[in-house]
Amino acid sequence: MKRPMVGVAAGLFAVGLVAAACGSSKSSTSPTTAQSAATAAPSGATTAPSGTAPSTTGKWTTSHPFVAAFIYVGAPSDAGWTHAHDVARLAVQSHFGGVVKTLYKEDVPEGPQVSQVINELINEGANAIFATSYGYQDAMEAAAKVHPNIFFEQATGTDQLANFAEYYGAGEDGDYLGGMAAGFASKSGQIGFVAPYPIPEVIREIDAFTMGARSVHPGATVRVVWTNTWFDPTKERAAAESLAGAGVDVLADGQDSPTTGQVAEAHNLPWVGYDSNQESFAPKSWLTGTTYNWAVYYIPDIQAMMNGTWKTHFYYGSLKNGFVQLAPFGPSLTSSQKAAILAKEQAIEAGTFDPFTGPITEQNGTIGVPAGKTLPVYTQTGLSKYSISWFVQGVIGSPKG
Amino acid sequence: MSSRVSALRSVRIERRLDIPRWLAWVVPVASLVLALIIAGVVLAATGHNPVSAYRQMFQAAVTAKGGLTATFVYSTPMLFTGLAAAIAFRMRTWNIGGEGQLYMGAVAASGAGLALASWPRPLLVLAMMVAGVAGGALWAVIPGILRAYFRTNEILVSLMLNYVAGYFMYYLIYDSTSYWRDLSTPSARVFPTGKNLAAAANWPVFTAGSFVLPFGFVVGAVLAIGLWFLVRSTRYGFEMRVIGDARAAAEYAGIRTKRKIVSVMAVSGLAAGLGGASQIGDFGHVLDPRGLQQAGYGYTGIVVGALALYNPLAVIISSLFIGALSNSGNALQGPSFPAGLVGTMQGIILFCVLGGEILTRYRVTRRLPGATTHLAARPPASEVPRDGVSATEVAR
Repeated sequence: MKRPMVGVAAGLFAVGLVAAACGSSKSSTSPTTAQSAATAAPSGATTAPSGTAPSTTGKWTTSHPFVAAFIYVGAPSDAGWTHAHDVARLAVQSHFGGVVKTLYKEDVPEGPQVSQVINELINEGANAIFATSYGYQDAMEAAAKVHPNIFFEQATGTDQLANFAEYYGAGEDGDYLGGMAAGFASKSGQIGFVAPYPIPEVIREIDAFTMGARSVHPGATVRVVWTNTWFDPTKERAAAESLAGAGVDVLADGQDSPTTGQVAEAHNLPWVGYDSNQESFAPKSWLTGTTYNWAVYYIPDIQAMMNGTWKTHFYYGSLKNGFVQLAPFGPSLTSSQKAAILAKEQAIEAGTFDPFTGPITEQNGTIGVPAGKTLPVYTQTGLSKYSISWFVQGVIGSPKG
Repeated sequence: MSSRVSALRSVRIERRLDIPRWLAWVVPVASLVLALIIAGVVLAATGHNPVSAYRQMFQAAVTAKGGLTATFVYSTPMLFTGLAAAIAFRMRTWNIGGEGQLYMGAVAASGAGLALASWPRPLLVLAMMVAGVAGGALWAVIPGILRAYFRTNEILVSLMLNYVAGYFMYYLIYDSTSYWRDLSTPSARVFPTGKNLAAAANWPVFTAGSFVLPFGFVVGAVLAIGLWFLVRSTRYGFEMRVIGDARAAAEYAGIRTKRKIVSVMAVSGLAAGLGGASQIGDFGHVLDPRGLQQAGYGYTGIVVGALALYNPLAVIISSLFIGALSNSGNALQGPSFPAGLVGTMQGIILFCVLGGEILTRYRVTRRLPGATTHLAARPPASEVPRDGVSATEVAR
């Protein structure tokens, strides 16, 4: 009786073959117009950043649109990070009309599967691929080397090639302002932070938030709980509840969903959100939060690709150009508190203030950034905002997770 | 009323003593058709055309450019973890630790790949395979020994060891300056990442036109054939089947069940560990703790093994089926087709195909009212094979 088992599987396979016969007869009718740009990809070419960018000039029409594809780590309905990207994708779509076709794949794990998703998008005719989470970087870089005629763009990463660019923005500036709001709102000075992964992007965010809180509430502490996920409302809820249970009187998060805010609302605690304006999820608790307007970047970037003027880059948006925005304030902040936060925002925009200006004391008491020094955004060597791997004084928790 | 109750009581689900050959074909096919109909209703209800969705899925998995390659790439890790589940579950040893055994195989194989980079390529690839096998097997032996000699629950122990292996792998890259971690550049010191293996450690691929077959899949298929032969035609396999179907009978017959549990766990872990080696050699070329943990291949392997009814040879087909399903799911989803709907469809298909298996193994019968008293004295038919081993059960 071994054969039946083989039979079961073979049966499944046979069904597949039948379906193959049915499927392939009609496949020739499906349009494959946009694939031409993806086909001429010599394999194994290693391109230095000094190489040539993909050339695309002047061939995009509504019948032959430029295909911009996005890889999402969560769902567009997450009300946070991915939602912000999808709002921008729709803005791209309405700005360019039929000349640009946008695609996306959602809930893509930051694991081995992403290489397959990239191949799939290329098969679907993508001319440009935007990977919207840090964990996609290695697969994106590998694919960029194999497909020199496709634009690859990586949010929050560090590496560059001739056809592989980086983009992000100074979320930490918004986080500093959000930290001020939390510092104002806290009575006990104990603030809780629900954090995704222990990577520099998040560490920088928590550092800025903590420095902002302590600037208006000396001695305030920020207790960090790691979830090790970008988007998982169950884990986010458990982390937020554990912080509420530990006695913090303000909550904040760097997650992709507004779950922390729902916990805050239930416990009547003020809350600083992230990624998108999430006020509607916790109208009483909402203080403010860093939000991203990715369309500020995507629209001119895609325009440059279509014009043939695109060059590889390391884009870093700011409060000043509107890429980073502070969400509207909630009901509990006083007008003088709001004025203090807005004054600091203006100082950041004017370039007279940067949260990462020394002296900055590390968690263990040593001086991390000496007085008078301001950290650059990213440098290959030496300390930069992108390479901070330590927490500042006032954070309770380990930056290693 | 009471007559209805007794009519219901007279309906029995009993284990088949013999499975007709036609049934083993018809049930999965019918299950799949049923799944496509149910999923079709869901699709239609959400405003999608089922026929075009199915056609799109099929194209993505098989006929599209690079589609078949992607299906095999998706299938490769699940072939290994599916075998790991199938071989252990066949003996009713519930090794849920394929996930962790895959991690340990990946750790060992990447370590070997890094350390022996100067070796000629065939030897290096072989060394990585051996290391992966050793890593996975040794990790699986732990719950095996605890199960056999200390009567712990292997489900819990092997499951918990997945987390231990995950944290260990994480420690190697993120929390230490281990041999596996890349410390060559300032950037790598801040953004923890594993050392990339030399090109010589990349496993070969077989190409036929645009179709690219990973070496790992071939290794997995050979392993599947080997395990199938082991279970079917060797004394080792016979003893496994006897222990699985009737532990007490096996002990009375003088089979050394404790040793067998440990060694079957080792064989199961070996398969998963080889899968970890394939992840390094075929695809990643670097130890990526976060990526491997997010992928969850070990847990998917349990479904793959169950779909194959724990037959190693059928695991080749079931892993391709699940691989095709994952591949086509990623192709299907997009702005007009949410990932949640893809997951719903995949769930319906798996539920029906796995559920259909019950109809293969069991049958529903109705007793005539007059016969009830006579039959009530007998033990339920479904328990019979456990006590006295039936020839069919052993053969399976």
